[in-house]
Amino acid sequence: MSTFYEEDELDDEVNLTSGVLARLLDLLKPYWLTVLLGILSIAVVSWLDAYFTVLNKRIIDEGIVARDMNAMVRLFWNYGMITMGQVVAFFVMMLSVGIQGERIRYDLRKKLFNHLQKLSLSYFSKTPIGWIMSRVTSDTEKMGDLLTWGIIDSMWALTNISFAIYFMLQLNTQLALIVILSLPLMVVVSFKFRVKIYYHYRKSRKANSKMTASLNENITGVRIVKALRREDQNLKDFKVLSTDMFRESYRAGLLSAIYLPTIQTISAISLVLILWRGGNMVGNSLLSVGTLQAFISYIMFILWPIQDLARVYAEMQNAIASSERVFSLLESQPGVRNRKNLLPVNSLVGDVEFENVSFHYEDDEPVIQNLSFHIPQGQKVALVGTTGGGKTTIVNLLCRFYEPTSGTIRIAGNDYLNYSLEDIQSRIGVVLQIPHLFSGTIRDNLRYGRLDATDEEIERAAQMAGAHDFIVKFEKGYDSDVGEGGNQLSVGQKQLISIARALLSNPDIFVMDEATSSVDTLTEALIQKGMQQLMTGRTSFIIAHRLSTIKSSDQIFVIEDGQIVESGSHKSLIQQRGVYYNLYTKQFRQDLEIKLDPFAEAGAEVNPA
Amino acid sequence: MLFVVFAENDREEEMSFTEKSYKPIDINKVISGKKTSSLWHLMSGFHLHYLVANLFTGLAALARTFIYLYLGGFVDRILEQGVVGTDLIVSALSFGGLITLQALSSFMSSWMATFTAENSTRRLRDYLFDHIQRLPYSYHSEAKTGDLLERATSDVDTIRRFFADQAIGIGRIVMIFIISFVAISQISLRLALISIIIIPIILVVSMFFFKALSKAYEAYQEQGAKISTDLQENLSGVRVVKAFARQDYEIEKFDKDNKEKFRLGKKFIRMHSLFWPLTDIVCSAQTIASSFIGATMVFDNIMTLGQYLSFVGLLGWLIWPIRNLGRLIIATSQTFVSLGRISTILKADEEDMTSATYQPEGNIQGQVKFDDVCFAYEKDQVVLEDVSFSCEAGEVVALLGSTGSGKTSLVNLLPRFYDVTCGQILLDGVNINEYSRQFLRSQIGIVEQEPFLFSTSIRGNITYGVHREVSEEEIVMAAKEAAIHDVILDFKNGYDTMVGERGVTLSGGQKQRLAIARTLLINPRILIMDDSTSSVDMETEVQIRAALEKLMMNRTTFIIAHRIQSIMNADQILVFDQGKIVQKGMHAELVNQPGIYQDIYEIQARIDSALQEEIERVDLL
Repeated sequence: MSTFYEEDELDDEVNLTSGVLARLLDLLKPYWLTVLLGILSIAVVSWLDAYFTVLNKRIIDEGIVARDMNAMVRLFWNYGMITMGQVVAFFVMMLSVGIQGERIRYDLRKKLFNHLQKLSLSYFSKTPIGWIMSRVTSDTEKMGDLLTWGIIDSMWALTNISFAIYFMLQLNTQLALIVILSLPLMVVVSFKFRVKIYYHYRKSRKANSKMTASLNENITGVRIVKALRREDQNLKDFKVLSTDMFRESYRAGLLSAIYLPTIQTISAISLVLILWRGGNMVGNSLLSVGTLQAFISYIMFILWPIQDLARVYAEMQNAIASSERVFSLLESQPGVRNRKNLLPVNSLVGDVEFENVSFHYEDDEPVIQNLSFHIPQGQKVALVGTTGGGKTTIVNLLCRFYEPTSGTIRIAGNDYLNYSLEDIQSRIGVVLQIPHLFSGTIRDNLRYGRLDATDEEIERAAQMAGAHDFIVKFEKGYDSDVGEGGNQLSVGQKQLISIARALLSNPDIFVMDEATSSVDTLTEALIQKGMQQLMTGRTSFIIAHRLSTIKSSDQIFVIEDGQIVESGSHKSLIQQRGVYYNLYTKQFRQDLEIKLDPFAEAGAEVNPA
Repeated sequence: MLFVVFAENDREEEMSFTEKSYKPIDINKVISGKKTSSLWHLMSGFHLHYLVANLFTGLAALARTFIYLYLGGFVDRILEQGVVGTDLIVSALSFGGLITLQALSSFMSSWMATFTAENSTRRLRDYLFDHIQRLPYSYHSEAKTGDLLERATSDVDTIRRFFADQAIGIGRIVMIFIISFVAISQISLRLALISIIIIPIILVVSMFFFKALSKAYEAYQEQGAKISTDLQENLSGVRVVKAFARQDYEIEKFDKDNKEKFRLGKKFIRMHSLFWPLTDIVCSAQTIASSFIGATMVFDNIMTLGQYLSFVGLLGWLIWPIRNLGRLIIATSQTFVSLGRISTILKADEEDMTSATYQPEGNIQGQVKFDDVCFAYEKDQVVLEDVSFSCEAGEVVALLGSTGSGKTSLVNLLPRFYDVTCGQILLDGVNINEYSRQFLRSQIGIVEQEPFLFSTSIRGNITYGVHREVSEEEIVMAAKEAAIHDVILDFKNGYDTMVGERGVTLSGGQKQRLAIARTLLINPRILIMDDSTSSVDMETEVQIRAALEKLMMNRTTFIIAHRIQSIMNADQILVFDQGKIVQKGMHAELVNQPGIYQDIYEIQARIDSALQEEIERVDLL
C-alpha cells in the first residue's frame, strides 16, 4: 500500500529555488561538528587516494629507476603509514557520517510523528493513511541518505577530482591538459546516463507495485475469478503489467550496461593521446616512467568519482522531492487549535448547549445548519436517524474534533473554545462504533483510559463494564495479547473493552456511537449494562441503534439533513406517528427477526473455512 | 547518443514486447532435481545468452589483463629502444583498442546477463501468476494471501538479482582472479603465490561478515516494519488518541520503537565501519608487501620495470575483488532459500479445467439431482452427509440452516470448487464430473452476499467475466434491472468511476446489485445466490426484489436464505442441520409440518402482534 503513494510522484518537478535545500541543510545544523568531521575525513581520504598515485610514481622514479634501496624502503614505509592514516580517516568518516545519518532519520521520524499528533481530524479525513506512511518511512530514508552519503560521496568525488587535477598539473602541464579536456565530456555523458537510468529504475518500481496490486487482487478475489472463468483474460491483463515491469527494468539494466563501457571508451581516447605524447617524452627522456604511469592511473581512476557524482545528482532530484513533501507535512497547521487566554477547568460537569451551530466540511455543502439545543447536566440524549444525516458530525463537534463554522457550543456555561483541547478531550469519554484497540495486552488497552490507573482500578473498571468475565477466561487473563488492531478478539469483546476503557477515564460527558453489527445476546446484555454504568450521572450523547438504549434515554433527537426534525421522549414521539414512529417499528421488527431466528447468524458464510 | 534508442515510440514497442512470445518453461524440470538445476531450467531459452554473457565476462577479464601486460611491455620497449614515431602511435592505438575491447566485452556481458535475468523472471512471474489463479479453490482457502504474494514478488526478485548480479559477479571475480594469477605467475610464480596468502582469510572473513550483516540488516528492517505498524495503528486510531488526549503517550511509545531502530541502525553502521577499514588494512598490507618484494626483484634484475608495472596493476585485481566474493556467496545462499519457497507453490497441482468425458451441444437445461452426496474437507470432518434431492430446470431451491450447517459447502460442489467425497451430482442426468470445469462454470452464475469488486471501473466490474463484447446499452439496461443504475449515476464519473477511488464507497447491498447486473449479462443456466440481509429502505428493497425475480426467471436457482420472506415462493425448501437435510418440501407443506420451518414462519406473526402490543402500550402510557 505504501509503495503506491511512494511511486505515485514519479514526475515531480523539483523546484530548487523554493528554499528546500536551505531547509535541508538546516537539519544538519545541530550536527555541524560531525558534518565537519566527516567532510574533513573524506577530504583526507580523497587527498590520499590521489596522493598514492604520486607515491607510486616516486617509488618507480626515486626507488626502482634510481636504484636507491634506502629511498625505496623509506617510500614503501611511507606508503604503509599513509595507508594506516587513510584507513583511520575512513573509519572516522564512516562511523560519524553513518551514525549521523541514522540520527537524522530518527529525528525526522520523530518530528513527523510528533507533528501528526497535533494535526486535527480534518487532516486525517482528507489525507490517505498510506500517503502519510510513505512520508514517515521512505521519504525520511531518502532525506537521510542525501544528507549523509549524498554529501559525502559528492565531496569525495569533487575533492578527488580536484586533487588529481592538482597533482597532474604538478607533474606535467601538457599531459594534465589532455586529461582535463576530456573531463567535461565524461561528466556530461555520466550525468545524462545516470538520470536516465534512475528514471527507468523508478518507473520499474512503480510498475512493480502495480503488478503486486494486481496479483494481490487476483488472489483475494480468486473465487469470483474461478466462477467467472476469468483466468485467461486476467493473465493477459497481468502480462501487460509484467511487460511494463520488464521493459523498465530491462531498460535500466541495458543503460547501466552501456554506461560504464561508454565512459571507459571516452577515457580510452585520452589515454591513447597520453601514451602517444607521454611515450614520446619518455623516449626523449623528457618524462619519467613513473610520471607516465601516474597519468595512466589518474585517467583510469577518474571515472569513478565522476560516476559517483552523477549518481548523487540523479538521486538528489528525488530526495529533494521527498523533502518537499516532508516539509509540507510539517508545515500543515492543525485546523483545531487552542485559543489564547484559556479558562482553567477542573471539570466539565454542567449543561451542554448548542446555539445556532452550523458546520460544513466543504464549502457550499452544509452538514449541520443552525442547530440549537440545550441538555441539562446528567441527561441522556439519543441521536437517531438515517446514515449521513449528521449524527456523527454533531458528536465530532461536541468532542471538538471539529469546530463549528458558525454558532456556539457551550459546556458548563462557557463557550468551549475557551477551554483547552486537552481539557475537553480528556473529560469527554468516547466509545466508537468500530472499537479501535492498539496492539499490546488487554491491560495496556484498558490503561489507555487512565495511564496512572492501578491494576485493581483496571480490573474494577472491567468488572463494571462486564468485561472481566471473558478476560479472565483467557489463559493469560489481563495480559493476553489483543493482536494487531485487536483482531484476536470478537467485535463484542472489543466493545466491552472500549467501554471499560472509557469508564476508567471517568469522564464528565459520555459520547457513544453504538455499533450496528449484532453480537450474541449475552454479550449484548453485558454491553447494555456497561453503558448504563457509564451513563449514570453523566451527560450522555448516544448515536443509538438499539431500541433499549433509545427508549431509556431522556431525550431523543431525530436527525435528518443536519436538522433535528423530531425531538422528545419515546412516548411522545411514538404518539406523533412521524419519522420516529417509522424508524422505531422497522427497527422493532428487525430486532425481533434476528432475536427469534433459529438460524441466527451475523452474515453469510462465504468461505467454508 | 546511445540512449536515443529508447526515446519515443513507446506504443509500438509495447506491442512488440507483449506479442514477442517466449519459450514456455518446462516446469517439471524446474521443480524436480537439485536447486542448481532448477535455476538452470528457469533460464531455458536463454541459455545461449547466458553462455555469451559468461564468455564476454572472461573476454573482458582477459582484455584487462592484457592491458596491464601490454603496458609493462610498452614501458620496457620505450626504455630499451626508445620507441618513437609510428611505432609509438601503433602501440598507443592498440592500447586504446584493448581498453575498448574490454569495455565492449563488459557491455556485452552485462547486456546478455540483464537480458537473461529480466526475461527469465518475467516469464516466471507470468507463470506464477497464472499458476496461482489456477490452483484449486481448496488451496486458496488454506493459503495465506500475504505469503503467496511475498513468494511471487520478492522471492522472484531475489532470483532475478541472482541471474543479473550474483551468478555473473561470482564468475567475473573468479575469472579475474584466475587470469590475473596466471598472468602474474608468468612473470614470477613465487611472487604470484606470495601475493595470495591472505586471500583465504579475506574470503572467510568476508563471508562471516556478510552473513552477520544480513542478519543485522534483517533486524533493522523488522524494526522498520514495527515502526510502520505503530504509525498505522496511531493513524487509524486517531480518534481514540484524540478522544483520550493521549498524544504524549503515543509520542513516547513511538519514540521507544524509533530509538530502537536508531540503535539497530548504529549497530549496522558499526559493523560496516569495522569490516571495511580492517580488511582495507589486510589487503593493503598484502599489496604493499607484494609490491615491495616485486620492487626488490627489479633491483635484483629478476624482473624488468615494465613487468613490475604490469604486476602492480594486476595485483589490485587479484586482491581487492575477493571482499565482494563473500557478499555474492551469501546472497546466493539466500537465492536458494527463495527458490525453495517458490518451488512449493509450483509443486501444487493446478485445477483441471478442460478434460471432459461429456460435452453437451449448447447450454444445459438445468436439471439437478443430488444422489447420496457426502463431503468432507478433511477426513473425519464430515460437512455434508447423505444429501439427496432433485429439481427440475428453472426451479428455485432454497437452502435454510444455521452457519456451518453445510449450505455453502453444498453450493461449492456445483461449480466443482470442491469434488464430492461420495455419492454423485447429476446435471441434466449426467454426473458433473463428466463435464469440464470450464463448461460447468460457464453455466453457473454466483451472486455473493457481499461480492468482491476489482479495482477497475464500475463498467469493468459489471462486464467482468462476461465472455463477449457488451454494448453500452446492454450494460445500462442490466444496471437498471439490477436497481443500481441510479446509484452509479450519482458518482461523479458515472460508469467510469474507479472502484476503490477515494469517496467511492459501495455498501454490501450495492456491491451485490453490481454482481446481479453482471450475472444478468452473463445469463447463466444455474444461479447460486446469497440472500442479502443488509438493511435498505423500503423502496430499494422493492427494487431489489424485482431485480432478483428477473434474475431468477427461467434459471435453476439455489438461494442461500437468511430470511423466510425471500423463500416462500421457492419450489423446494431444504432445511439443513449439521450437514443433513432435516426438512424438505414447499412452503405450503412445511408450514403445516411441526419442525424448524414452522417455528421460523410463526415468528413473523409473533413479531406483528408483539409490535402491536408495544405501540398500544406506549400510547396508553
